[in-house]
Amino acid sequence: MRASTAAAATHERQGAPGWVVVLARELHDLWIGGRGLLLCLAFSILVSTIAYLAATNEALNFLEQREALNLVVQVGMIVGALLTLLAGADAISGERERGTLESLLVTPVSRRQLVAAKLLAALSLWLAAYAVLVPYAWFLARDLGVVGTTLAASFVVGTLLAACFAALGLVVSLLATSNRVSLSVSLFALLALLAPTQLPGGAKQGWFADALLHVNPATAGEHFVNRVIISASGWDQELGWLVSPLVATALLSAGALLLAGRMRLGGGTGG
Amino acid sequence: MGAAVEARGIAKRYGSQIALEDLTFSVQAGEIIGVLGPNGAGKTTAIRILTTILAPDRGTFSVAGIPSSEPARIRARVGVLPESAGYPERQKGEEYLRFHARLFGHSSASARAVARALLQEVGLAERGRAPIATYSRGMRQRLGIARALVNDPAVVFLDEPTLGLDPAGQREILARVRALAGERGAAVLLSTHLLDEVQQNCSRVLILNRARVVAEGPVLEIVRRSAAPRRARIRTTPQHVERALATLNDSAEVQEAAIADGAAGSLTLVLAAAAIGSDDGALNAVVEVLLDATVPLLACELEGARLSDAFLALTEGR
Repeated sequence: MRASTAAAATHERQGAPGWVVVLARELHDLWIGGRGLLLCLAFSILVSTIAYLAATNEALNFLEQREALNLVVQVGMIVGALLTLLAGADAISGERERGTLESLLVTPVSRRQLVAAKLLAALSLWLAAYAVLVPYAWFLARDLGVVGTTLAASFVVGTLLAACFAALGLVVSLLATSNRVSLSVSLFALLALLAPTQLPGGAKQGWFADALLHVNPATAGEHFVNRVIISASGWDQELGWLVSPLVATALLSAGALLLAGRMRLGGGTGG
Repeated sequence: MGAAVEARGIAKRYGSQIALEDLTFSVQAGEIIGVLGPNGAGKTTAIRILTTILAPDRGTFSVAGIPSSEPARIRARVGVLPESAGYPERQKGEEYLRFHARLFGHSSASARAVARALLQEVGLAERGRAPIATYSRGMRQRLGIARALVNDPAVVFLDEPTLGLDPAGQREILARVRALAGERGAAVLLSTHLLDEVQQNCSRVLILNRARVVAEGPVLEIVRRSAAPRRARIRTTPQHVERALATLNDSAEVQEAAIADGAAGSLTLVLAAAAIGSDDGALNAVVEVLLDATVPLLACELEGARLSDAFLALTEGR
């Protein structure tokens, strides 16, 4: 018995890098385990409902078609980002709470690789959500002749926001003492970032409000898509709105990787 | 050949709380060392430091000859069964082992072979394709031990492997622990509260109390050094029982004496710490006291030294 184990152990040790193995496992758990499919189903029901309401409102002249398209795309992007936020927020604190984190930490795979793999796995939820969003966006955009622009803008902004929120969830998850705290804080942060998008137009006037809209990645992303779809602006005129989502994604991802090196079993970071 | 584990002056604090202070010990390959101590003594912290999950505040160590400055290389050579380890309920046993084998660098095919061999080794071959959610606690512990072996480790750390198991389950796990050292030649650090089992299975023990090492060495030596109370059983004639009892209770060599069975003339006694120098010395002290009092002595038996008594003597009230 011992000999067969040793033989297998000394057999070819040319396995994939640790982060690839963890990513494959995470994707398997997410998509074969069923959680990802359930979330996607819920996402598609939501987008269907919004698209139906937007399309019927447009027929009744309550919403202009570009506004209907913008609404569907914005909801798709935000809910897609919410899915990645939830996956990120559960990534470390969930493992910790289920008692499976220590077994991962005693393998040769570095903590940064673990976190990077979980970040990528969370992003797969956005890619699936985007795939669901495409036919609805195409249907609403085809008569306007902005199919390509809409799909490209929603993919770029949606991917940036999804990565940004997944990284935010991971940072919170690394620091949180429990999974419940991690999910609550992450959701609160998301709602706080999205709140300005619901403010009336008058409240967004002035240099201070303008600066806040630029700094907040959620509002900046929303503005970029707004301008491209509703105002039919060119990308080159609106690229400034992408700086904040880009910087926030880079900073939060770097923060998650940095904190990963100091990950603790009991929550928080330190020696 | 160097020690499988060598720790020197390891210290760890959590804020103002001292978790471990000046931990120094070594373990040789093929040796099973029992790591004992009351709850909160620092056992789990010690294991987490030696498996590189926690960084020590002070001190150095090497595992399998690899210095603590190379944690990834150390992790590649150790197997760990953490305290209260959790398992992904939906995964199957074989799937779980395959995943962990791949984390240690095995290719897909090699990981499958390792997983199957280990399932066979821990007696789970029949249940390898069942979800872990359907496993009993004992089966999960066996799966955890199998997981700790996917990299053919030089050193195995088992933190409370028998926690929550019934006596049969405990015996089974301890048999596997013996096999780890005997057949695989791995050094095993076994943290447990089962003192009698440690006495039977471990060549040496390391006793921690309040973050410090209070004893380290071979079991018998620890028991002898600890000044733990030794118990003896004597037998005299039924008519001399009362006199024997009074004599023993008056004796400085005896801490406590009681009649076990008056009709049979048997008494039990606990020797005073001062009388314990060696087994012979303790026995002689009792015999002399009784003979001086002209109590006929039909039998005198010193009970075996117990690690549990030594443990209590070393950790209680300190």
